[in-house]
Amino acid sequence: MTLSAFLAAWRFEWRLLRRDAAAWAVLAAITTMSALAFFNGAERVAAQKAAIEDARRDETQRLDALRKALADLTAGRVKGETPPFRDPRNGVFVGGGSAAAVAALEPAPLAIVASGQSDLFPAALKVTSGTKDSFLFADEIENPAHLASGSIDLSFVLVFVFPLAILALCFDLSAGEREKGTLALTLASAESPTAVLLGKLAARAGLPILAMIAATLVGVLLLRGAEPIASCGFALLVAAIFAYGAFWALLAAVVDSFGKSSAYNALALIAVWAGFTMIAPAAVNTLADALYPAPSRAEMTLAARAATTDADRERDAALARYAEEHPEAKAAETKIGDAEERTIRRLAVLETANARVEEVMARHEAQLARQRALADRLSFLSPALLMYRSVADIAGSGDRRYAEFSARLDEFHRQWRDFFWSRAHAGQSLTQADYAALPRFRAASEASVPAGVISGLAGGVGLPALLLAIFAWRGLRRCKAA
Amino acid sequence: MSEIVVAKAPVAEAPAGRWRVARAVARKEWAELRRDSRLAWLFGLVFLLMLGALAFGAAQHMRLDRERAAAAATDRALWTGQGAKNPHAAAHFGQYAFKPQSPLALADPGVDAYVGEAVWLEAHKQNEAQFRAARDAGVGARLGGLSFAFVLQTIMPLVAVLLGFAGFAGERERGTLRQLMSLGASPIDIFAGKALAALGALAALLVPAFSLAVLATLFLADHDFSVVDQLRRLLAFSFGYGLYLCGFVFLALGVSAFSKSTRTALVTLLAFWLANCFLAPRVMTDVAKHVATLPSALEFRNAIAEDKNKTFGHDETHPSFVAFRDGVLAQYGVTRIEDLPVNFRGLALRKDDENGFVIFDKHFGALQAAFDAQDRLRAAPGFLFPMLAMQAFSTSFAGTDSWHQYDFATAAEAHRRRIQTEASEDLINNARYGDASYVASPQMWARIPSFDYAAPAVSWAFSHVRGDLVALALWVVLTAALAGFAARRLRPL
Repeated sequence: MTLSAFLAAWRFEWRLLRRDAAAWAVLAAITTMSALAFFNGAERVAAQKAAIEDARRDETQRLDALRKALADLTAGRVKGETPPFRDPRNGVFVGGGSAAAVAALEPAPLAIVASGQSDLFPAALKVTSGTKDSFLFADEIENPAHLASGSIDLSFVLVFVFPLAILALCFDLSAGEREKGTLALTLASAESPTAVLLGKLAARAGLPILAMIAATLVGVLLLRGAEPIASCGFALLVAAIFAYGAFWALLAAVVDSFGKSSAYNALALIAVWAGFTMIAPAAVNTLADALYPAPSRAEMTLAARAATTDADRERDAALARYAEEHPEAKAAETKIGDAEERTIRRLAVLETANARVEEVMARHEAQLARQRALADRLSFLSPALLMYRSVADIAGSGDRRYAEFSARLDEFHRQWRDFFWSRAHAGQSLTQADYAALPRFRAASEASVPAGVISGLAGGVGLPALLLAIFAWRGLRRCKAA
Repeated sequence: MSEIVVAKAPVAEAPAGRWRVARAVARKEWAELRRDSRLAWLFGLVFLLMLGALAFGAAQHMRLDRERAAAAATDRALWTGQGAKNPHAAAHFGQYAFKPQSPLALADPGVDAYVGEAVWLEAHKQNEAQFRAARDAGVGARLGGLSFAFVLQTIMPLVAVLLGFAGFAGERERGTLRQLMSLGASPIDIFAGKALAALGALAALLVPAFSLAVLATLFLADHDFSVVDQLRRLLAFSFGYGLYLCGFVFLALGVSAFSKSTRTALVTLLAFWLANCFLAPRVMTDVAKHVATLPSALEFRNAIAEDKNKTFGHDETHPSFVAFRDGVLAQYGVTRIEDLPVNFRGLALRKDDENGFVIFDKHFGALQAAFDAQDRLRAAPGFLFPMLAMQAFSTSFAGTDSWHQYDFATAAEAHRRRIQTEASEDLINNARYGDASYVASPQMWARIPSFDYAAPAVSWAFSHVRGDLVALALWVVLTAALAGFAARRLRPL
């Protein structure tokens, strides 16, 4: 009976593992690293939430100060002239800075699982009616060496440490027994030697896979409660852990089936591990960058600056034309430097600069989209890279969520500009009612896991695991005792 | 009757004889290495990786250099083309300072992708560098790119492990260690021979790669970077990697001598390699983050704003403005601003800028000190996990660490201060008080030079990594001591 041989081998191996120091070391490594990763994840999410709260508090204080200043001006409690950039009635300047709206990207329910890009992108941005480059590239303070090195999060444990834990137990599946001289006895213990080896593999790989799933479950449950556990994202994460673990276990079985020594297996597997987790991702990133280099962001800023000088010149020319065509006009009407003139200039600069920056940014985004599409396709070369990107997407700290956030930010930026500029063009001063009706950035409801993540994991991790299962089956059937 | 020849005891050997044994062992090891086709494949692959990394690094460098030169030229044209303008309005328009890329970034890009490449030099504010390239690269890029430093720091130690793990354990398993020792070769001589062979093999791989790096550096160094300085940096860079890899060869041989089997030696060494290359940098990053905390961007800006609020800025009702005005009037012995022989607005702007300089120096200096405290903490166990010291050492000599970024930001800030001061002094000397229509001639913008950054010398880079050099030296001493200890306890069976 093949099944009974499999189960018997599994049970026997399981008993052996309970007395094996390596198995306990693997369990300790997974538990410790996961605990550290969840501790860091909880701190990171708390810091993001605190940053968003601080930004909102700052926004409330700024708006309260503006409304108070407006009330003082309206009630005639302010003496002297208020410069336009401090005038709460001036929509061009208020919308361009002092009333800046907070656009926050709240941490997703599974954010503790992967830091992804969350350490590079600030959790909250201050949207103004200025050009996008003036607020979009704000950075949170972080030691650049830390950003380059990365910290320990669950995605790191899953992608790097978890495969090593599996390989540590599976690399000498038959080679270890062959070297000890017990393989012949083990294989002879059942009618189907393949079932015996598969039983051993299931026990040895099952331990780290179950430990990893259990650690993930406990970590999320303790720190985020039961709600995220019931989500599609968590189910996908568990499935991904299983598939990724199976991939490495089957890979170890394939290498072991070559019948070489355990030292050879260890070397070969560590080389494949280094290839998949380090060299292939590095090569993919390098290739994508070489073929579609990220455009220079300086070009965008310079476009905005050129627009400033052009708008200045256009305004000067318009004033000169006006003075020429209306020689009777008083000097005061064309005087440079008064509040109205500064406001008109500012509005002209912002409108011209915005149009140009949006054009440059659209070109940049198209180039980056090409680079990412290539990286997406090439990531199928490395299950580790695919797993890393997918876990970040499941955690809501990957490229997909930031792309969505960026699109919503574009829409809100347009809304914000229109609100202030329409009033400025109509010559209207801002009122208390306008302050009450300021556009607010609405966070999108948390969407379910994108279909691209599921298909990516199925094609990039599930399918290779399946292929390896076929090779492992064929290889183990040919296993020789000596 | 047969003659039995007894080998001389090792202690009786003269030093020259010991050297002969070591040389003979090295020659035998070298011959074995050359015959191993798997090793040839491995070396070929690693060399290709280094070649690819250098080629990509050079191409990347040339592209970024072109982009930044074009951006600097455009910004200059915008600055000089402002036309007649009030100097303070021009100071608000400002200039951009673009960071020239260090030629050795082709070998170790360091933190370059994680720091901004441009600083806006505007009135009243010291801005942080903008546009971190890593933000555009996507989440997959966080797993790292292919660079020469990546190969040297991560792949080469693995090669050293592969060269050394079977050094003693393999000979013991084959039974040849007993033969070798029975010939009178002392364990230390055998160790020296094996280490020589392994280091020679590593040198055979690295010397051509470093020669290519030298050529690329000569090709890429331009007026911002002295060629001699870059070559000195490359020399220091290669010395650091020499220590790093030397320690791995000693460690591999030491562990091999201690281990009962090649399997144990390999597993032990691979575990250390993983801990050194993957775990230690991340664990120490987390430790440094928790121990030496940084302010948030909002806290940092609010702290500056709080200090700035104590100065007057454009607020002419501020008590410190009133005090300054009264002081100026007393200094010139007049009672009305209009009677001053110089423009008071220019004086006030200059004074406000000077107040700001002190505030910015305090806050940005404290931030860099906090980064430095974290970096030191992170690199502290570098003598045990040499990757930590090596990363700091390598990025410093490549000119791609946070200290070089700080030096660039400081130079950019010095240029900003020059622009502000010249703009204010033009007002002081040429504008009448109360004349809002005063404009400086367009020639003035051309007189203010564009930002020209001179990268610091190699001695400056060295001053920041003395501790890391000590850590690397200690790493070599410790691994050599371990290997020596293991060799002395060597048992042939």
